[in-house]
Amino acid sequence: MLRLEAVSKRFGRDWVLKDLTFTLARGEVVALLGPNGSGKTTLLKLMAGLLKPTRGRVVREGRALFLPNPPAFHRHLTAREHLLYDLAFHGREGDWQGALARYGLPEDLPLAAFSSGMKKRLALARLELLSPDLWLLDEPETALDTEGRELLLKALGKGRKGGGVVLATHDRALAEEAADRVLWLGAA
Amino acid sequence: MRAETRGRPGKGGLGVGRVWLLALRDLRLEVRDRAGVLSALTFLAVMLFVMALALGPEEGALRRAAPGVLWVALAFLATLLSTRAFALEVEDATLDDLLLTPGGKEWVYFGKLLFQMLLLLPLSALALFLAAGLFYLPLEKALTLFLTLALGGLGYASVATFYAGLLARLRGREVLLPLLLFSLVVPVVLAGVRATVGLLEGFPVAEVASWWQLLLVFDLVYLTAGALLFPLVMEG
Amino acid sequence: MLKAAHPERPDALTWAFLGLGVLLLPVGFYLALSAPPDVNQGYLARIMYLHVPGAWLGYLAFFVTFLYSLLYLFRQDPRYDRVAMASAEIGLVFMGLALVTGMLWARPTWGVYWTWEPRLTTTAILFAVYVGYFLLRGAIEDPELRAKAAAAVGVLGFINVPISYMSVKWWRSLHQTQSIDLTTGKIHMDPAMLQALLFNLLVFTLLYLGFVRFRALVAALEARKEEA
Repeated sequence: MLRLEAVSKRFGRDWVLKDLTFTLARGEVVALLGPNGSGKTTLLKLMAGLLKPTRGRVVREGRALFLPNPPAFHRHLTAREHLLYDLAFHGREGDWQGALARYGLPEDLPLAAFSSGMKKRLALARLELLSPDLWLLDEPETALDTEGRELLLKALGKGRKGGGVVLATHDRALAEEAADRVLWLGAA
Repeated sequence: MRAETRGRPGKGGLGVGRVWLLALRDLRLEVRDRAGVLSALTFLAVMLFVMALALGPEEGALRRAAPGVLWVALAFLATLLSTRAFALEVEDATLDDLLLTPGGKEWVYFGKLLFQMLLLLPLSALALFLAAGLFYLPLEKALTLFLTLALGGLGYASVATFYAGLLARLRGREVLLPLLLFSLVVPVVLAGVRATVGLLEGFPVAEVASWWQLLLVFDLVYLTAGALLFPLVMEG
Repeated sequence: MLKAAHPERPDALTWAFLGLGVLLLPVGFYLALSAPPDVNQGYLARIMYLHVPGAWLGYLAFFVTFLYSLLYLFRQDPRYDRVAMASAEIGLVFMGLALVTGMLWARPTWGVYWTWEPRLTTTAILFAVYVGYFLLRGAIEDPELRAKAAAAVGVLGFINVPISYMSVKWWRSLHQTQSIDLTTGKIHMDPAMLQALLFNLLVFTLLYLGFVRFRALVAALEARKEEA
């Protein structure tokens, strides 16, 4: 599903990641744990292909999508518009109305008015609709209430079935509940 | 059982459609945001006014100055607009989402370029009408004049969109963009002004056409180069 | 054996270029000064022994930058980026020399420091492009992105040269009444003058090759220091 071979990444003079080798099997959920600044976000972006490794290589099967923290949305669009555009840009179709209903989100409210919890839910709904093979989530648990957390766990299950999930998190309980394996990143 | 919300590949697939969709979406965002278009409009009006005041009031002088003024306005306008190409993406941090779509990154370049043209063309037409009023331009030639502006605008925008994307996440981009841009687009301004002068003074069509050809060559070269290089410079 | 792969000092070829160039420089100087004065311009024409090689090498240097920028975009080998940068830097120096000597030459010949002559204008544009090249490099911290962005400018800037030249040439040719008669600047080439010119061209080329190799080595050493 995903393989990192001796991957190192540097920004300017800082080596954020050094010589990392890692494999994700199909259907696996892996949690990335580590203190702030240990390179979790960088690693996720490398896995997604948004960044290229300074050394080593990343081999990926299928499409990957990255969910940043906080989620990125155009504040002038409504949820309906955003999902429709996203589906079109990815060349896909999907029941966006059903997805919004399941996540308890309004269709026609500008995203500027969404709370951070709502935005997180929308990001998960978007991931489900676009159904990439590889889900890369950066601290997905933040801003979610209990109900939102349930939705997250269900979504992770879908991600697992779709291919594989890597999530960076500070929440050990979530890691234990949802992940098959844990990858620890130590501060350099 | 619960309704399946997992998406599936669409019938339309990935074609030219999403280029248009991106351009229209950005247009919609720009209109809702209002900041960009408004500043472009004000800038245009102020610039033409000030130039008319500075170069007038004698009709002959204004007529002679018109082509130059028009193209200077276009150049600054296009530079200003190009910052809008990626401004909202950077503000809302959505650039990564566009880059993660399947089927290469060239389509993003074309979508952003089309967005630029959808803003530039109407504003050029507006500039033309304002200049016609302030600088005594004959409006019978409006169509060919607009065509010239469009050709030049396309060349300018293809370079500007590329650089705007390249510089989107860098500090100091406000200073770098004009410098990088102006040194490349000199042929556009030269050819554009010459073609405009030719049209206004009734030069033979062949002569004006040769300037149009230069603009077309510039457009093709930089459109191709921009599209080819864009994916390479949008990776981290 | 490892030393050969990661040199810490300039290699023999670099020293040869630099050494030969520096040695022959006074010879070229002598030839330039002993060449006969021009029919039209007298001793003033001697500035061309600096101006022409400077311009020629400036263009050559930027062409090399263009080539190595393309190579970098295809192969992503940082060595290509270093050579492109080194060549651009040396090219900027030669180009600057050409522009300054050109202006100094123009003043007594044509009466003005600047004129919109196609070659001069295109040279000025190219100079601006490569100033932008270095400003862009300075603005990007990440080495890989910096190399890619610079390579893009190197390519785009150079393909602009023929287009710019054509546009300025056509633009200039439209002026029916030229305030400056460019024919008064023409030089009739005496064989001895040609010889001196070509010799200085050779010397400048040797110096260019030596400097680029040297500069690229310095860049490699800098990069190695960052990796540690």
